[in-house]
Amino acid sequence: MLVHQSTTAAGPSRVVVLGADGFLASELRRTLDGARQVHRAIGSREVDLIEASSVERLAGIVQPDDAVVITSALTPDKGRDPATLLKNLRMGENLAALLNRVQCAHVVYISSDGVYDSRLSLVSEDSPCETGDLYAIAHLVREKMLLQACQRAGIPLAILRPCAIYGAGDTHNSYGPNRFIRTALKDGKIVLFGGGEERRDHIHVRDVAGLTLLCLLHRSAGVVNAVTGRAWSFREVAGKVIAALGQPVAIQELPRSGPVTHRHYDIAALIRAFPGFAPMSLDDGLAETGGAMRAKANSV
Amino acid sequence: MTEASTIGFAGLSHLGTIYSMAAAARSFTVLAFDERRELTKELGMRQFPIVEPGLEETAREHGGRIRYTSEAQELAGCGLVFITLDVATNESNTSDLAPLEALIEKVSASIRSDALLAIMSQVPPGFCRSLSARLPAGLQLFHQVETLIFGNAMERAIHPERLIVGCADPAGELPERYRRYLDAFDCPVLPMRYESAELCKAAINCFLVSSVTTSNTLAEICERIGADWSEIVPALRLDKRIGPHAYLSPGLGIAGGNLERDLVTVQRLAAENGCDARVVTAWQEKSRHDRDWVLRVLFGAGALARSGSVSLAVWGLAYKAGTHSTRNSPSLALLDALPAYSFRAYDPVAKIDREFPAVRQCGSALEAAEGAAALIVMTPWNEFSGISAGEVKARMSGVHIVDPYRVLDGRAFRESGFEYHCRGA
Repeated sequence: MLVHQSTTAAGPSRVVVLGADGFLASELRRTLDGARQVHRAIGSREVDLIEASSVERLAGIVQPDDAVVITSALTPDKGRDPATLLKNLRMGENLAALLNRVQCAHVVYISSDGVYDSRLSLVSEDSPCETGDLYAIAHLVREKMLLQACQRAGIPLAILRPCAIYGAGDTHNSYGPNRFIRTALKDGKIVLFGGGEERRDHIHVRDVAGLTLLCLLHRSAGVVNAVTGRAWSFREVAGKVIAALGQPVAIQELPRSGPVTHRHYDIAALIRAFPGFAPMSLDDGLAETGGAMRAKANSV
Repeated sequence: MTEASTIGFAGLSHLGTIYSMAAAARSFTVLAFDERRELTKELGMRQFPIVEPGLEETAREHGGRIRYTSEAQELAGCGLVFITLDVATNESNTSDLAPLEALIEKVSASIRSDALLAIMSQVPPGFCRSLSARLPAGLQLFHQVETLIFGNAMERAIHPERLIVGCADPAGELPERYRRYLDAFDCPVLPMRYESAELCKAAINCFLVSSVTTSNTLAEICERIGADWSEIVPALRLDKRIGPHAYLSPGLGIAGGNLERDLVTVQRLAAENGCDARVVTAWQEKSRHDRDWVLRVLFGAGALARSGSVSLAVWGLAYKAGTHSTRNSPSLALLDALPAYSFRAYDPVAKIDREFPAVRQCGSALEAAEGAAALIVMTPWNEFSGISAGEVKARMSGVHIVDPYRVLDGRAFRESGFEYHCRGA
């Protein structure tokens, strides 16, 4: 659960966003702009967290009053292999070294819901973290590294564990809303595994950015899942995508490779932390994403 | 009746107040002891610090047989003395046995050397065996298991289903003095060894928790698939393997402290002895999930979207109807969870016993509903069921009714334009 260090919402003097070129960080920067929150975005081209020299470079940038948001990670589309795992862990090592070296006011780490046991159909922040996926393992270990460093330095650490994030600008193309929109627009079809029975929670990128901002404003510490609390089957998502696009789209079913599993969230901890948080409905989110992706496709 | 036939009760919390009155109702002469002089004075004037249906009526009819005292030495006149101090639990639902130990020490030093001592307090397995080795020689120790239900305690104490008696050796005859007392209750008497009796209470509570948890699990599924748990319950009650009195009403998890305590005890015993009690952990987790049902419903209904400008009405603070106790109450948990919201709360007997700056306790249910964006029935008090949708509609500003226990007439509220949410459908 999250505990707010600041009961009245007041932003830090500056937010340093690491991983600034990524899908979520781009949205977060827009959200920070909208909230008139001063921020400094740092992408891997400026500071490559995999390199040990990143510690020195960031130490010259991060100030004691700064809040640091860590979105940096090599996502599964870059590889789920041991080499990618080690690169992700090296980033964690360097970030922990940074926090051992410089003081800052707050750290927000964007992790993943992949850290939870994939066999669990109902997950809360108290659910056991047990994963065989190397990307999720990287997040889990990095959480521990950062927690240790932050505890040692007395810095509040908020860990957000988002479920599948969708929205215009997502380049990951993983199975779900974005891929469905993309293939519907490009090929006029959506491919489902089996009947698309698996239920998942899908959160719009703007909601994750909004939750990150709320954590920053309240200087929150602890763990919270960044989710909507509603799970939809992939078939339902496909139906909503078709409705949002308003054009004929064929649904193609391919044999599934594994058993049907579902993932729902008990969002009581999220409600406790931010009771006024109102996630975008999937219909609205898909309509917006579909519209943006169609506009982009038409402009190319 | 001789002095030695007077039954002594030591420790006048809920347990001692009720059982001493039940003994009087069964025509025994009773001496009820508690160190708290003010308390014994109030009890002597029939002023009870607890709320239990039937207690005042029983006191009017039979209270003349009870004398209250704050002097332990007076227990020397009793041949049978019950230790009846409720054992308090902490935040982790573990027992604090120190006050009980102190009371036993004081009482055992005051009573006759041939007296019978019966512990009714909630003690963990192993307690009585260990205690019996420390008691003065000659004192015989028993453990009479209490199975009271808050809100129905007086009735159950006078008319128990059975009496469970823990003994050093269950093969032996119960002493005549104790037997006479037990027989007065006209129900089966089940002697067993100390350890069995101590675990028996936990066993009963584990079965209750399992019923409650199973009901809540299935009720939640009903809510999602268009089934109605209330339609299923009669079929279960008519099944002899489940029975007419099974705990089948869905609710907001386990509360009150006693059930939670016994689960913790079973977990500890299992851990110490290498047994698999993961089901108990699952019950606890499920209970936490059920406690937050209202929170999720309010959130899902959009009733929490504006914190500062709306007030929420809460009917019921006690952890269940018929009691003043708010121990582990889902209602207080809800108030805790939403500190940024202003609440108007009403309970017929329970009071908020700690600081909730944004909660105003009202004098009536309808007063609490005044201007509320949502009305949440957190304790199923009977008096709420008589309140009509029209009366509520005339006072509320919003349309959300959250009634987990189905106290209200859901159909009437829906027909009046409310968004009505209940458990199990």
